[in-house]
Amino acid sequence: MGPVKALWKKELLLEFRQKHAIAGIAMYVLATVFVCFLSFERLESEVVWGGLIWITGLFTAFNAMQKTFAQEGGGTQYYLYTLASPKQVILVKSLYNALLVAALNVISLFFFLLFFGDEVLKEADFGQLFLGFLMGSSGLGMTLTFVSGLAYKSGVGVGLVAILGFPVIIPLLITIVRFTTGALIGLTWLENGLNLLVLFILNGASLLLSTLLFPYLWRE
Amino acid sequence: MKTWLKIICIALLAYTVIFSLWHPLSPGGLDVSVDKIVPGNNTFTFTGYNTHFQDQKDSLQLFVASGGTYFCTELQSVSDNNHCTVNVILPDTIPSDEIAFYANTPLDGTVYIQKPIDSKSFVFDPNHQVASPCAVKVKNDQHQIFGYPFQVIIFESIRNLMWHVPMWFTMFALMFIAFVQSIKILSKSGREADLTKAIDFSVVKNFDTKAASAAGTGLVFCILGLITGSIWARFTWGTWWTTDPQLNGAMVVFLVYLAYFILRNSVNDEEKRARLAAIFNIFAFILLVVLLMVMPRFAEGLHPVKVETQLFLNMILIVV
Repeated sequence: MGPVKALWKKELLLEFRQKHAIAGIAMYVLATVFVCFLSFERLESEVVWGGLIWITGLFTAFNAMQKTFAQEGGGTQYYLYTLASPKQVILVKSLYNALLVAALNVISLFFFLLFFGDEVLKEADFGQLFLGFLMGSSGLGMTLTFVSGLAYKSGVGVGLVAILGFPVIIPLLITIVRFTTGALIGLTWLENGLNLLVLFILNGASLLLSTLLFPYLWRE
Repeated sequence: MKTWLKIICIALLAYTVIFSLWHPLSPGGLDVSVDKIVPGNNTFTFTGYNTHFQDQKDSLQLFVASGGTYFCTELQSVSDNNHCTVNVILPDTIPSDEIAFYANTPLDGTVYIQKPIDSKSFVFDPNHQVASPCAVKVKNDQHQIFGYPFQVIIFESIRNLMWHVPMWFTMFALMFIAFVQSIKILSKSGREADLTKAIDFSVVKNFDTKAASAAGTGLVFCILGLITGSIWARFTWGTWWTTDPQLNGAMVVFLVYLAYFILRNSVNDEEKRARLAAIFNIFAFILLVVLLMVMPRFAEGLHPVKVETQLFLNMILIVV
């Protein structure tokens, strides 16, 4: 069994054994959307819908990513170090977290539809919306994985994730909100293409930088 | 730092202050007192800025332009250097509805005002021959040594160009220095493969000090750039803050570098601090390039980047 496969299995097992963690985040999503529902009651504007769903997504991702390194003790990391190269570790972790955040955002989308109805989706382009969800979630997951690793290594605590992560994540968040809003009001692929291009560039840059820089971070 | 270097820096700063505040704005046209012109007799007051109507009263010539045709005016009174009242007789048919007002003096050259003027009562015919078009007699033979260009909307605040723009360039340069030093830290500090190798930490510490000092000074220039930009925005765009992509990008860059210093100050172990700060600094510099150099070119904004964008795209085409 190759190291990549073993790392995947480790991530999945860890998630499965700590079901309370993921359940807690799902509850957090439900509570956030419910608070949104109580304060807004009705959402007719696409801009507000797109903004709200991504702000929910952002905080969900922060909560989910804070523990990604912290949940493994120091011993686990030394063991991983003998098992795989740091590039493999960060790649598997990034992709796993990208999928995790995407899944959490699907839950948040489900709750949004449950509470607010599908009023805003009437003119939406579902292909764009889907791709936007995938790209935005993976961008949040990958960037915050790296930032979380940086904060974990500093040894200060998980509070640093928010301080380091927020400024870094703003460009991605602005672009993804714009792209989602564009998809909701029914822009064509060509009209919305620039946002998609920026999204691809930001995601690519994030993945590239984390793979390049993680080996230096890993060293103890 | 050496004393003579400090003296040169202070002298340069003093030179910039004096140069940016001393020289006057070039002459220009501010306003005319009418919003509407009619066939026949029109009287209006021409308001100039830094002009010399009183001093050059004998050779002052004002005319109204429509399309490419000039109509001479009759000078009635000159109240001071910046105000004069003229009378003009216009025919029923003029070439174009684009009306401009010109004032010529030898000292100031040609100053003009172009503003939306109600000219509905005219007949427009581009080919119509005007009986007596005005011959522009005054030639501009004297030049001021230097004057800031007179720009409508910006006016005197053009002097801020000497402050605001170089501040951002300085910040770019300093952040680039910090970026290079950070790369040096990582290349010296080593990857996991070099664990066995002993590291000369004094070298790394030197790089770390340089990176942090450059980034700190850059942050000061970033704050100054934000302040001067905000003041400038208040005078030209009407608000302290707008949704311009470059402005918001600059704010994000400011926050990212603040986070860099928070990270630096929260780690106690010096070797670890150098390494973590260097990693975050590389991230921050890439973000700076994306936010301040790439993204504003793809989005609509108020900053004058359109010309640059064309240049930028051409450069890419040439490289490709």
